Amino acid sequence: MKRWSLLFMVSALLLAIVVQVPAQPKDTLTVALVSHAPVLDPHFHFERVGILVNINMFDSLLHKNTKLEYEPSLATSWKPLNDTQWEFKLRRGVKFHNGETMTAEDVKFSFERVLDQKKKSPQFGNIRAIKEVRIVSPDTIHIVTDKPFPLLLERLVFFPIVPKKHVEAVGDQAFGLSAPVGTGPWKFVEWKKDQLIRLEAFDQHWRGKPAFKHLVIRAIPEIATQIAELKTGGVDLIRNVSADLVPELKAHPQTYVSSAPILRTHYAALDMRVPPFDKKLVRQAANYAIDREAIVEKMMAGLGRVVATTVHPAAFGHDPSVTPYTFDPKKAKELLARAGYPNGVDITLHSAFVEFRPVFEAIAQMLTDVGIRTTPKMWDPGPAWNKFFQTEGKAANGYYGSWGYYSVFDAEAILHPLYHTEPGGWVGKWYARVEGLDALIDQGKSTVDQAARKRTYTQIQRLLKEEAPSIFLFHQFDTLGVSKKVEYAARGDEWLWLFDAKPKR
Amino acid sequence: MTALLIRRVVRLVVVLAGVSLVTFAILHVSGDPVALMMAEAPEADRAVLRETMGFNEPLPVQFVKFLGSTARGDFGNSFFHRAPAMPLVLERMPTTLLLTALAILIAIVVAVPAGIYSAVRRGSLVDQAVTLAVFLGQSMPIFWTGIMLMLLFAVQWRVLPVSGWDSWWSLVLPAVTLGTFSAPLFLRIVRSSMLEVISLDYVRTARAKGVSEWFVICRHALVNAALPLVTVIGLQVGLLVGGAIVTETVFAVPGVGRLIVGAIRQLDFPIVQAGVFVIALLVVLVNFTVDLLYVYLNPQIRVR
Repeated sequence: MKRWSLLFMVSALLLAIVVQVPAQPKDTLTVALVSHAPVLDPHFHFERVGILVNINMFDSLLHKNTKLEYEPSLATSWKPLNDTQWEFKLRRGVKFHNGETMTAEDVKFSFERVLDQKKKSPQFGNIRAIKEVRIVSPDTIHIVTDKPFPLLLERLVFFPIVPKKHVEAVGDQAFGLSAPVGTGPWKFVEWKKDQLIRLEAFDQHWRGKPAFKHLVIRAIPEIATQIAELKTGGVDLIRNVSADLVPELKAHPQTYVSSAPILRTHYAALDMRVPPFDKKLVRQAANYAIDREAIVEKMMAGLGRVVATTVHPAAFGHDPSVTPYTFDPKKAKELLARAGYPNGVDITLHSAFVEFRPVFEAIAQMLTDVGIRTTPKMWDPGPAWNKFFQTEGKAANGYYGSWGYYSVFDAEAILHPLYHTEPGGWVGKWYARVEGLDALIDQGKSTVDQAARKRTYTQIQRLLKEEAPSIFLFHQFDTLGVSKKVEYAARGDEWLWLFDAKPKR
Repeated sequence: MTALLIRRVVRLVVVLAGVSLVTFAILHVSGDPVALMMAEAPEADRAVLRETMGFNEPLPVQFVKFLGSTARGDFGNSFFHRAPAMPLVLERMPTTLLLTALAILIAIVVAVPAGIYSAVRRGSLVDQAVTLAVFLGQSMPIFWTGIMLMLLFAVQWRVLPVSGWDSWWSLVLPAVTLGTFSAPLFLRIVRSSMLEVISLDYVRTARAKGVSEWFVICRHALVNAALPLVTVIGLQVGLLVGGAIVTETVFAVPGVGRLIVGAIRQLDFPIVQAGVFVIALLVVLVNFTVDLLYVYLNPQIRVR
């Protein structure tokens, strides 16, 4: 009897080991985002968390590979016919998740529902330059713009094509909440709001089947919770791992981190309308005062790169011959004295960039050290912008913030919002007063001749460095936390293109 | 009773109107939602949107219009969800209510026996341990308690899920976290009111009659000691819904708190207004129920 029970126990133990060791090939990939977008309709929100889900369900005309070069997607080729007209050849035989074949009608319809101002799409501004989408033949369309629109291709990388018949049948609201249909690698299964979105691989996707059959996107607002889920295998992929958490995930046996330089560029915008930043020498002094390398290395775990101006090295138009300001506190003091502030000057800087509060405080301290005595004021995001841009004579002096280019790899995407002073502008209309800069920015976007644009942007970057309308700082890296069961690398555009994710054995 | 009800309904309407006014005022001074909705668009487009959404009218006019539609039960469409605000709030309400109810239940189940025991065995080792626990429990912020429990039970020992709302198991940590917030207060109340009651004459009389100790405590002492507890539970409901917002964030629970916090961040006025309205309504109703319970527990009290 004893022998039997011993034998039984040993075999049970062996069985347990046998069952545990070759883990079942995982066919579910679980991703954590801080929230879900309010709708799954790719045209009626403009939130990063929504875009990251949409791109895995919908295709756009163009795609970008991991090197961020254009790749054919629903369009197989494209060319400009003249300054205001582009031709796109459409891929044939592409199936929507409901089995219908994609046609030029669907493409035209997709543009028109965003351009229809009655529908109030938050993406209207992205493609407002498009005047008409013309169907030339079943697989050829022409896009006509009202003026030269050099950003068109960039905008089309996230411009999902939706099925006309289906959308018209179910209506916009149901399409966004319960019946989204695209041509992408995964199709919709269910959405438990603020909980999870469940997707399933689409058998007839034109690229072939993705490696993971199921894709689950969970909404977990708290980063500490995301980390705990990642370590225990509850999720496989998390975004925006901050510098202080990187060592922890690197050391953990079940996780690794993957970083990539991204467009998000940090700067301190200076209010050029009022003293002391109305003087060029003071603005230059502020730029010499900052030890950028030290901030990147010591406060951001090296996950950043110093930039010369706000034009990002990966953006079209960047000129590497324009070099960053050096760290030179002596020169900063000198310039400050020459500007008429031998005893220094008091200023207030604002920020709503909560995640980077320590960096903000370090910048304030470095400015104070050279005599630009800075009081840093931290605000809650959202309402803060009203404070930064207050106009009733109370100087804001400036604010520390960042700009993510809305994933558009082109100098225009940051120059216009930050420095153009047109009344419809963003920061520029309040803060920037650089003579001649408006005209140059307009010139940069008035043609699709890329060589001519490049020359204009070189001119702009030289002007920016000389006039220093901002304190130029650095650009950020995006860091993913990934389970060792999954192979995936961070991308420079912050996309989670999960078709590239593979299970690791 | 009818007069009482009428008075209560009038009070309810006044409270709700007041809460709506305050919410409305705070929201409208806190910023421009159109600037967040169309961050990149030219000012001209934003002006059009502001016009169609009625933000250009004077604030008092906007408020009167808002009150009017609120009275008809119409809180407007969410700016971002493209759907009516009230259903969005209501569909998340059961989750928050369940979480809050479980937390209160856990707090009562822990606090009542422990409170009674430490009152009856005053000064004993158990009493001292309970007092220490009360101190600890009251000084831990919900956020911290939540993360600690998660690290211990979900990451270290792996006996419970980290977060989510899929199974009954995933309810345990958030409910316990939130319960930890209320239990110490309940316990203190039970202990002190039991101490007060237990030395009264009628309890001594009951004992003298030879009634068993257990029966004396439960039948005679506890019923009278329960009044303050009921009051405190009523007051706690409002606080707990506030605590639920934090707990929902930590444990990724799809409740109304997360919805409201997200809406505040985006200045999604209709959702915030609908959410605050529902929670205010809930608190007022709970307090009314507490008043009714008084009458039931102690017929000597006349509710006026």
